[in-house]
Amino acid sequence: MFVDHDKVGDLPSAAARVSDGDMVALGGGLSARLPMALVRELVRLGRQDLHLVGSAHGMDVDLLVAAGAVAVCEESYVGFEQDLGLAPSYRRAAEAGQLEIRETCCVTILTQLRAAQMGLPFLPVRGVKGTDIRRMHPDYAEIVCPFTGETLVAVPPLEPDVALIHAPMGDRVGNLHLEQPYVLDEHFARAARQVVATVDRLATTEEVVATGVTIPGHRVSVVVEVPFGAHPTSCYPGYAYDRQHLAAYVAAAGQAQTAQDYLAEWVTRPGGEDAYRAALDQDRLDRLMSWSDTIEEWKELFV
Amino acid sequence: MNWNLPEWFVVTLARTISDREVVFHGFGSPCAQVAMHVARRTHAPNMLLIEGAMYAVNPAPPFVPPTSNDQALKYGAAYSMRFEEFFDAACRGEVDRMFLSGGQIDPYGNTNVTAIGPMNRPKVKLGGGGGGCNISATIRHLTLWTTRHRSGRTLVQECDFITDVGHRTPAGSRVDLGYTGGGPAHLVTELGVFDYGDVGRARLVQIFPDVTLDEVERSTGFELQVSPDLGTVPEPTEEELEIVRAVDPLAVHASEFDPSELDRTFTSEPAIA
Repeated sequence: MFVDHDKVGDLPSAAARVSDGDMVALGGGLSARLPMALVRELVRLGRQDLHLVGSAHGMDVDLLVAAGAVAVCEESYVGFEQDLGLAPSYRRAAEAGQLEIRETCCVTILTQLRAAQMGLPFLPVRGVKGTDIRRMHPDYAEIVCPFTGETLVAVPPLEPDVALIHAPMGDRVGNLHLEQPYVLDEHFARAARQVVATVDRLATTEEVVATGVTIPGHRVSVVVEVPFGAHPTSCYPGYAYDRQHLAAYVAAAGQAQTAQDYLAEWVTRPGGEDAYRAALDQDRLDRLMSWSDTIEEWKELFV
Repeated sequence: MNWNLPEWFVVTLARTISDREVVFHGFGSPCAQVAMHVARRTHAPNMLLIEGAMYAVNPAPPFVPPTSNDQALKYGAAYSMRFEEFFDAACRGEVDRMFLSGGQIDPYGNTNVTAIGPMNRPKVKLGGGGGGCNISATIRHLTLWTTRHRSGRTLVQECDFITDVGHRTPAGSRVDLGYTGGGPAHLVTELGVFDYGDVGRARLVQIFPDVTLDEVERSTGFELQVSPDLGTVPEPTEEELEIVRAVDPLAVHASEFDPSELDRTFTSEPAIA
């Protein structure tokens, strides 16, 4: 556990806690509260051979794959749903045999994180048996229940080296407030060796406590204030997702060369994360933040 | 009264839900999502509606956004489950119905949402199955759907990869595998509706009126079995159509279809030239 009273750091040194080859857990899910500023910083640092784990993800995984940072993908889903479709860079790398796919299931990964939290060598799951997900995983096994005689699939503990979590608000101790869905973030925080957190806004402990602590500071090793740190994904109550930016990314990622163009324009340009934020259209950001003004304006963000 | 195929499709999915059921849809599933709200506002007022990736209980979204982790989907809900709270309930057998789709679906209702072609070098890497690999084993009933039957590539004799379990896989039946859920009960496609009879194999029971049996046969990659009571898909009511349009003003559900299917329109009165 992490007992320091002040864990505020800067983005490059926070992201540098991830080493080449690490197992990295990604917080958030789909296009909500993905730790995008940390993901971009990992690209800037040139990290490689990462083993990414998560439930259902999107641009975070795709961007890291586009940047050549990933060796293994272990998620239950990577994509942009029916709206923007398959994840282009992830798909291209998988189809070229350049990425080891260890596809998982939301329940399996939850169970593996619970085993890690409990200090157990395995836990069983009811499903998976008879599917090709089972055949894809030599790391799973079968076990006969000593009480019922049933054969169940046993899965090993999952202990990520680092969990990357973005929150709308947190304090200097690392206490984080999240809005639902929490997805696996609480479990990642308990199972990982360390949590690297970004927050849209650093607040007083009193304010975070009054709003509700979702992840306690003693699980967090460093916290960095990064406004719009989940952009272009959403981070309620702050901002809705930037569908236009995501659509532009998915279009760019469709070809290897234009994916690199996106990285050069938005991620690796000089000036780091500040330059990313400065390049965003302020009117657009204002609209994403004003989602709660009227239902009509909220709805318009999705058109 | 006029309606289009996607609206009719959603109403047909809604009718697979019974009142008082606990019902769930996964992410990226706007047809199922809208269908659940239609059911709850018509014939299943006492269902427990668990909204996609928000796990919100009985919400009243002001619109359906094109992404499933958006707060619009918990609007009006008194409570949202935690991730583990939903999945534990599903594994324990407390969820009565889930909607599931797939890039490939075989005659037994196994679905592939992982990859087309060999896994080490797939022809198409699909997105993945979310929680289906476990909870398809334990949820009481599954309603399968696809909007891509006509492609000829979706309903196949054998899935290249089994992500979610139907009535039997090469490793055995649901009983052999110790699965506590009942498996697929229906498969709704843009051409018609299948049930799984007594033996757990797809059987065409209804067909849309602008589709011929020959078209269904040509689009189906496994031997088509047809119920002796084959009928036409029952028409939607005016109330159901109004609810589809009110729940989904952005028509996000229509994005699941090939654009050509949107031209399929129907009317309950004879057209007057």
